[in-house]
Amino acid sequence: MAGEKLDTVAIVKEEAGPNIKNFADFWSFLKKELKPRGNIATPFNLISLPIMVLGYIFIVYRLATGLGKPITNLNQQYPWGLWIGFDVVTGVAFAGGAYVICFVVYILRAEKYHAIIRATVLNGFLAYLFYAGAIVLDIGRWWNIYNPMIGNSFGVNAVMFLVAWHFFLYMLAEFVEFSPTVAEWLGMKKLRKILGGLTLGAVVFGICLSTLHQSGLAALMIMAKNKIHPLWYTEFIPILYFVSSIFAGLSMVIFEGSISHKVFGSQLDEAHHKHYDDILVGLARICSAAMFGYFFLKIILLVHEHAVQYLNSPMGFWYLFEIVGFVLVPCFMFAHGAQNKNTSTIKFAAIITMIGIIINRLNYTFIAYNWYVPLSEKYWPAPMEYIITASIILTEIWAFRWIVNRMPVLKEPPAWAREHH
Amino acid sequence: MEELFTYYDIFATKGVEYLIIIAFFILILVFWGLLNMRSH
Repeated sequence: MAGEKLDTVAIVKEEAGPNIKNFADFWSFLKKELKPRGNIATPFNLISLPIMVLGYIFIVYRLATGLGKPITNLNQQYPWGLWIGFDVVTGVAFAGGAYVICFVVYILRAEKYHAIIRATVLNGFLAYLFYAGAIVLDIGRWWNIYNPMIGNSFGVNAVMFLVAWHFFLYMLAEFVEFSPTVAEWLGMKKLRKILGGLTLGAVVFGICLSTLHQSGLAALMIMAKNKIHPLWYTEFIPILYFVSSIFAGLSMVIFEGSISHKVFGSQLDEAHHKHYDDILVGLARICSAAMFGYFFLKIILLVHEHAVQYLNSPMGFWYLFEIVGFVLVPCFMFAHGAQNKNTSTIKFAAIITMIGIIINRLNYTFIAYNWYVPLSEKYWPAPMEYIITASIILTEIWAFRWIVNRMPVLKEPPAWAREHH
Repeated sequence: MEELFTYYDIFATKGVEYLIIIAFFILILVFWGLLNMRSH
């Protein structure tokens, strides 16, 4: 009986949240929260930690010594490598799930997807923070990165000016969208109410920014007209990037959500578990329809750019492999999975789609870029580029895990917050 | 008689692009039906 009473007191205390009245309270609460929970020596931690530490050392080395060998294999001929191609351009496409789900939930009012919105927005925010943040590594004079923000040589004619401001504003919008969760974690009721009122405005602002910067990144590719293979180059790359970000982002939501459901399964109630398959089927339908449209866009542009003649060449086969193997095939897999409510097929299709997006973005940055250069002179990422990329991904996973284990991202918000809502 | 009928190059007039778009609008209806069809 006494044990039961103690449990009830603990639950009520947890529901009420920490009683933070001043900075000292906040500091002691944060120190308590920063302490690891559970077993630290898990296989994931033991493998990921050395890679992350090694990556941080290389990052410091790169910032101190600059781009170029031995850190990267970048040169004047290949200025875009793995960091731009994978971390930034692919990472931003994968983060697209946040704006799509926000649009579906807040604008189309499809409440079915409300259960996954917090995890998706968090994933999007962290993706921007880490992957788009990785752009610092690619900037030669990285210490000048704040210049577009403070007006020191604004460079309004540069695509990078647009990209910089969009990333900055979108990160702010995503943070505002996620901030009610932080307020609930801190037990700040008044702040939660104010931030909750800002959500819709931040969502609308975020969606507008996303449609622009997903395509804005492609404007970088437009500048390389004579370097990108004609099968990939078109003046409509921004539209292709925007449409592909819809199914890239949703595939990431399916992939990340499926892993989260296994790893953080104990935080979810039974109703959520039951409901989740229905959410996956809905997401698969959206992905399938978007991929169907994207495939036809690719066909029309192939004819429009008079690029059909290049199909019967090694690069042409590579192109066909990309649009058939990684667009058309997963498109029908999503459709089949949605029709039969087969979540395994949907998850498998999401993985294939994600691989396809990586291939597509790397094609633009270095595979189909300078395609006329002999194979021996082609760019291939240096080992340190891989390690730094891996350390950035792993750091994002660690941050995601820390937040999900402490804040009401997957678990139900406290009772007082539900009343506000 | 021959002068009354002029042949156009379907590629130069972007005719193929129009045909692909028409095919897309027809196929998207079929595809959407397939997507929402329940299997038995």
